Amino acid sequence: MIAEETLVQELKLEESRARAFEVLVNTYKERLYWHIRRIVLNHDDTDDVLQNTFIKIYRNIEKFKGDSKLYSWMYRIATNESLTFLKQKSRKMGVSNQELKDRMVENLEADVYFDGDEIQLKLQKALAMLPDKQKLVFTMKYFQEMKYHDISEALDTSEGALKTSYHLAVKKIEAYLKEN
Amino acid sequence: MKKNGKNSFNTPEGYFDNFNDRLMDRIKKEDMGEVTSLIPKTDGFVVPDSYFDEVTPTVLSKTVAKETKVVPLKPHRNFYYGVAAVAAIFILIFNMTWNSTPEPITFDNLANAEIESYLENTDFEMTSYEIAEVVSLEEVELNDILNDDLEDDIIMEYLDENVGDIEDLNLDDTYYE
Repeated sequence: MIAEETLVQELKLEESRARAFEVLVNTYKERLYWHIRRIVLNHDDTDDVLQNTFIKIYRNIEKFKGDSKLYSWMYRIATNESLTFLKQKSRKMGVSNQELKDRMVENLEADVYFDGDEIQLKLQKALAMLPDKQKLVFTMKYFQEMKYHDISEALDTSEGALKTSYHLAVKKIEAYLKEN
Repeated sequence: MKKNGKNSFNTPEGYFDNFNDRLMDRIKKEDMGEVTSLIPKTDGFVVPDSYFDEVTPTVLSKTVAKETKVVPLKPHRNFYYGVAAVAAIFILIFNMTWNSTPEPITFDNLANAEIESYLENTDFEMTSYEIAEVVSLEEVELNDILNDDLEDDIIMEYLDENVGDIEDLNLDDTYYE
């Protein structure tokens, strides 16, 4: 795999940008897909947001200063794009953000691209009740197995605050699964 | 059981001996996400077959392909346009300077159509009587005003049809041939 610094340098040079961007897409498309999918839940919406994310990355690559890791920066863009997408969707539907999340989970039962059993569906219901930050930290840590340091860069939050959010999320999810 | 000297609370045997190990083990498990078996390890989402193969060309068509530069066939075309524009301005200024002292326009330069158009479209604020006072009849023949020359036969026919008594015309002082 190509080193991140080399990739960034090639992305900033006009003559190597196209090839480097293809490498970037192929390297990160799956990780970013799953990150977005766990926020917007539906495959078609995820596809839209993933493409928008890559378009934003391509247009803004020259502004990437290298203060954080490239993939943390891309996760930040993907997260913002996903949350903005949900806000726009709830506005279009004329419902609150929470109402939209509840509907999204309800729709999972009929979704051909959701293969979850009863406990996995309950997990989604539990996640829908969490504040955005707690849900993000939980999915990034639990399912994507990211390190706190990397999550901290992606969400621009201190590691201490992330640990607290994660433990709170776990307690709430456990409590919900026990009760239901 | 181990008893505390100052109160009646007890702890299990060896509790404090392995407390540190148990605490570190729990922190490690929590950090690894191995918190509880209640939470499933997977979340049940799937993707359509070959989605990840198809998404790359889709993304590239919306980013890299769109920005591919079009190489102009004539790279110096803009330079030629600039030179042509400057030359055109010089020619225009030269012509304006060259023609700045034209011959004065006289009445003879005007086309008849222009004069007629002027007379028709301009309000002189003069009545026909006022015009008659200005225009000398002695110098103007009737046929100068009318478009067509009147034949004598036509005049006689008109008078025959429209005048009842020839005396009404009061032609005593008028010489009529």
